[in-house]
Amino acid sequence: MRSNRRILRTTLLSLAALALAALPALAGSAVGDAAPGFTLKGVDGKTHSLADYKGKVVVLEWINPNCPVSGRHAREKTMIELARQHGEVVWLGINSTSPSSGDYLKPADHLAWNQKTGINYPVLYDETGKVGHAYEARTTPHMFIVGADGKIAYNGAIDDDPPGRKSKADRLNYVGHGLDAEKKGASPDPASTKPYGCSVKYQ
Amino acid sequence: MTPPKTLLLFFFAAGLLLAPGHAWGAASEWSVNPQSSVRLISPWKTAPWKTAPRSGELILGLQFRLSPGWHVYWKNSGDAGFPPAVTLQPAAALGAPEILWPAPRRFELPGNLVAFGYEGEVIYPIRTEMKPAAAAPAGGTSDSPADDVLHITADLDYLVCQADCVPYRYTLALDQPLGEPSAADPQTAALLQIWVDRLPRIVREMPGVRTGAVLDASRGGAPELEVRVLGVLGARAAPGKTDLFLESHETFDAGRPRMRATSDGVVFHVPMKPKVAGKPLPERTSIAWTVSGLTAKDGKPFSLEARREVQVWTDAGSRAPDPLREAPGRAPDRFPRLLLGAFLGGALMNLAPAVLALLLAEVFSLRGSGLEGSKTGVREGAAAAVTGVVGACWGIAGIALLARRAGWSAPWPAQLQEPAVGALLAVAALVLALNLWGLLEFPLAPAAARAGTGRHLLAGLFTAPLALAWPVPLLQQPIGAAFARGPAAVCAVFAVAGFGFALPYLVLALAPAAARALPAPGPWLPRLREGLGFLAGGSALWLLYALSRQVSPEGLAGIELALLGVGLFAWLRARETIRPAARLALALGLAVCAAGALWLADHNRLAPRPVAARASTSINSPPNPDSGG
Repeated sequence: MRSNRRILRTTLLSLAALALAALPALAGSAVGDAAPGFTLKGVDGKTHSLADYKGKVVVLEWINPNCPVSGRHAREKTMIELARQHGEVVWLGINSTSPSSGDYLKPADHLAWNQKTGINYPVLYDETGKVGHAYEARTTPHMFIVGADGKIAYNGAIDDDPPGRKSKADRLNYVGHGLDAEKKGASPDPASTKPYGCSVKYQ
Repeated sequence: MTPPKTLLLFFFAAGLLLAPGHAWGAASEWSVNPQSSVRLISPWKTAPWKTAPRSGELILGLQFRLSPGWHVYWKNSGDAGFPPAVTLQPAAALGAPEILWPAPRRFELPGNLVAFGYEGEVIYPIRTEMKPAAAAPAGGTSDSPADDVLHITADLDYLVCQADCVPYRYTLALDQPLGEPSAADPQTAALLQIWVDRLPRIVREMPGVRTGAVLDASRGGAPELEVRVLGVLGARAAPGKTDLFLESHETFDAGRPRMRATSDGVVFHVPMKPKVAGKPLPERTSIAWTVSGLTAKDGKPFSLEARREVQVWTDAGSRAPDPLREAPGRAPDRFPRLLLGAFLGGALMNLAPAVLALLLAEVFSLRGSGLEGSKTGVREGAAAAVTGVVGACWGIAGIALLARRAGWSAPWPAQLQEPAVGALLAVAALVLALNLWGLLEFPLAPAAARAGTGRHLLAGLFTAPLALAWPVPLLQQPIGAAFARGPAAVCAVFAVAGFGFALPYLVLALAPAAARALPAPGPWLPRLREGLGFLAGGSALWLLYALSRQVSPEGLAGIELALLGVGLFAWLRARETIRPAARLALALGLAVCAAGALWLADHNRLAPRPVAARASTSINSPPNPDSGG
């Protein structure tokens, strides 16, 4: 009787420990990890949840209007055109700039910049940097493709041209290639690259 | 990746002689913005490619001056940024440029992010190639050599960051005169040379330095990369000094390295997070690293770069791979060969004069014991002597290992060059001489045939220190290699060398009958012992001569007086009619004289103590570039 109870207790404890150990492996920023969930307020005042887009391919773009690299891609309409070409995907900008940083923009100013540059997708505020850290977002821009299965399918740079020296046609747009692959039911290749740009202005 | 440093230096020197005056003949205009200034420089006032062969390596420089707080990037920019990119024109004359990367430093950014790059001033050397026949078409129409100019333009893109970043794009133009005789520009050549000298070295350029890595993925969590650098003086833990920088890797995101200094180098551990979860890891993977802020054994600062096929260790049940196994330059010395060398070297040590004196006296003493107590006497005595010799060798190995653990990383023979060690050996040789002369009834190589095995053991123990003064070349390689392999190898090599050293006793222990081959002791034996005493005395004199290079003349005179004191006290004690209390006092005096010799040697040394010397070289930082250029 007593030994049975002990076995039961040991088993339960082991299972609990296993579950705890498995938790961090479930959500993470590596390709193949479950994309960390979030609920954030957009510059438009609406609240957006990753869970809202279950079953859809979601592109996450870390963005900072005061970063010249984000600025160049906005000017060159790199993201806007790609989002339009892939109407089937949900495109979300995330700004993890801390309010203490000189780069911080108030929602009204951000909205004005979005309108000026033609950005028509939602941009979400992550002022605490919690979501940025969950994804280990390092640069603006830093791009993620979340597959329809809710797992991270791509993590890295937007393209292979950090200084922006090539013409748009000559650049290898990793996110564009990744989305083409997702559409065909394949996996992005490469699935991860080194992101480039300004550092995310965390607290 | 070996820039022609000596060549550059030569042209720099030649330029100083040939081309005085004339400032900045070999640089573009500065391009200036609030965060930085940049220009293209050439080391040549007149480059040598006007005439045949018209081809060759050309090293230019991209010189940045940065406003305080701003930085530009290394080839791996770290968590943010990107490295500068450059193309050169005319493409018909110049090959694709390759940026050479000086060792960077680390910049901490908000949000636990890091960047790798340069602040203040940096020159990226750029290697390119003059294509054959490039000079003529680029130089215009005139046949006059003075008109030959190569119009070089560099299209440059770079990002300069503080916490904020600003990208810039410039076209830098440089008119490079070509002609014979060629001449270096003294200012730009000197500037460029400073940064060429600061490029990381490869292992091949640094004799005695080794590096290697292993990726440990056997422990469940994130794999951990271990990078080792051996053969350097102690690392500096201060920020911005000794540091590890990994190039970007396609499979892993590198975390922050943890550094640990060892007696012979430095070890880094870096968490490596796989970029794709759940994918099986490769068996090997190519990893490239740069270690900055190292100090070579000669005290010079340097940084090191390496690329290795690194083994990924996934099976915790198997033995951990040796990080240095991949490292080239490691001597392929096989262990049995090392042991054979140690044995032969040990046997050769018996020919050292002081050792020979003791050996002969001891062997005849054993022969004497054989006369009285048959074979067993010889066997027991010889076995005791073997035990003594090998035991003493182990003792010496232990002392050497402890000295290394204490941070004294001098190579093996150098440890014997300590003046105090030399004085100790001189005292030992003198004590042996006095004993053989019958002035000191120290229980060595007993003259009396009834001597116990204890005395033979002591004789064996005493033999090893006597041999220390005679570094046998054959022994140096096995001992050096053993220290590189670790304590177990050191013990094995010293034990085998000890058995080689004890070979004569070993023969007698295994075949006691061999003692009979020696002439039977007779009245000549005491005379022989006294004669051998001179051999030991000569050995002491030779050691004093060796000490004369390590100790001041006054110190040496003091040591000689102390040795004379040892002799005097021994002579006084040797009288038959002396009271036990007086004998004790005289023995004490003898010991004080011996200790005094050691103290005098240490306090009158000419060279500073090695530990102190190491401390003083480690605070030297690399030379700062001349910011006035």
